[in-house]
Amino acid sequence: MENLTLRFTGAILLTYFIAIVLSISHLPTALQAWRPEWVALVMIHWAIFFPKKTRYWHAMVVGLFLDSLLGSVLGQHALGLLIVQFSAIRLTERILPKTLLQHLFIVALTVSYYLLINLWVRSLTQDNPTDWSYWFTLLSSLIIWPILHALMKNLQVKRREL
Amino acid sequence: MRSHDSPSSNAKIILFLGFSLAALGIITNDHKGKIPALRTSMNIVTYPVKAMINMPYSASSNIAEFLTSHQNLSKENDELRRTVNIYAARDQQYRSIASQNKNLTKALDISSQLDDRYLLAKILAVDTDNFRHTVNIDKGTNDQAFEGQIALYGKSIYGQIIRTTPYSSELIRITDPNHAIPVQNVRTGDHALAVGAGRTNRVYLEQFDELENIRAGDLYVSSGLGTLFPTDFPVAIVKEKHYNPADSMTTISANTVADFNKVREVLLIWRDTKKLPKEIK
Repeated sequence: MENLTLRFTGAILLTYFIAIVLSISHLPTALQAWRPEWVALVMIHWAIFFPKKTRYWHAMVVGLFLDSLLGSVLGQHALGLLIVQFSAIRLTERILPKTLLQHLFIVALTVSYYLLINLWVRSLTQDNPTDWSYWFTLLSSLIIWPILHALMKNLQVKRREL
Repeated sequence: MRSHDSPSSNAKIILFLGFSLAALGIITNDHKGKIPALRTSMNIVTYPVKAMINMPYSASSNIAEFLTSHQNLSKENDELRRTVNIYAARDQQYRSIASQNKNLTKALDISSQLDDRYLLAKILAVDTDNFRHTVNIDKGTNDQAFEGQIALYGKSIYGQIIRTTPYSSELIRITDPNHAIPVQNVRTGDHALAVGAGRTNRVYLEQFDELENIRAGDLYVSSGLGTLFPTDFPVAIVKEKHYNPADSMTTISANTVADFNKVREVLLIWRDTKKLPKEIK
């Protein structure tokens, strides 16, 4: 993993941008509860597969953007994404994930942290979700992860030996 | 590869910043107007993203309009012309009544009611938080929109503006759990509060006078108590009364008159002509 590099500069920025667009683009009402946590997934991917380029301020800035776009409390997603990035990096160091199952374990754990922190901030601001469908997004995130990973690993190439 | 064996002081500082930012957001959430500058500037920065996402939707509707056959258009035009004629006749009636009313209020020495004014706003095809029922519209402070302004859809009330930026604003629907509107039963005249249920096209009736007086199918209109909402706009129709033995409470759920899934345009209403854009005065 050490001698991997980005296919082009700005790839990280581009993936975050696409994730943000996906998380606010219009869906039918029935599907909205199943929208995966795109931004958190992209953040986990970079934390697992390219830790030398992950920076905590990325999580901050992207989170603030999401808060502004989704109309949530300012700092809610920023905090959640910071925890996601932090725990993904730490878990990767301990598990050194190689198989899909190990990846899914990290995704499940960190996305649950993310949802819990969002829930915590929501309940502090009297904005509790009304039913259990709040947790559907965890399931859809796990389902979408293999596809996302297959797409995103194309953004990394082996560094040429000079 | 950068080592993450011990969280660097950098990481600690940023984590701390994140926590404090979230705390700041939570604390100031209830006190609107404390950090509006930060929120508004963030919203201005992110508006191009919303506009960009909305573009394909508006473009597709424009193209669909362009490709509609001439026959359909002329048919639609005929219908519209007919409705305009009917409304014009009604408006004439309304005007005579309004002038009578003005004379009467003058005679009674009451400050006269101002005329309402309207502006059409498009809803951006951008989703917001799943469990918040808010939408973005393409009119902002540049069009004299203001916080607390009421938005109508057809004959019904859609919601009110909660945040504004120069080019766009955020609207809260009457179905949001944090929204309540004073309503009145058309049949009995009883007052109640329609609180958003957090589900599409659904509100709960609370603080009603007498449970027995409410029947399924009752129409509730805005009562105008609190002077924020205009009076006599249909809001919801009672669906069912549900008695919960666990807490011995009865919840009354009602369907909203407006179908929020279909709405793509809303009418902003100015009830005070001083706040009005010049061109539509």
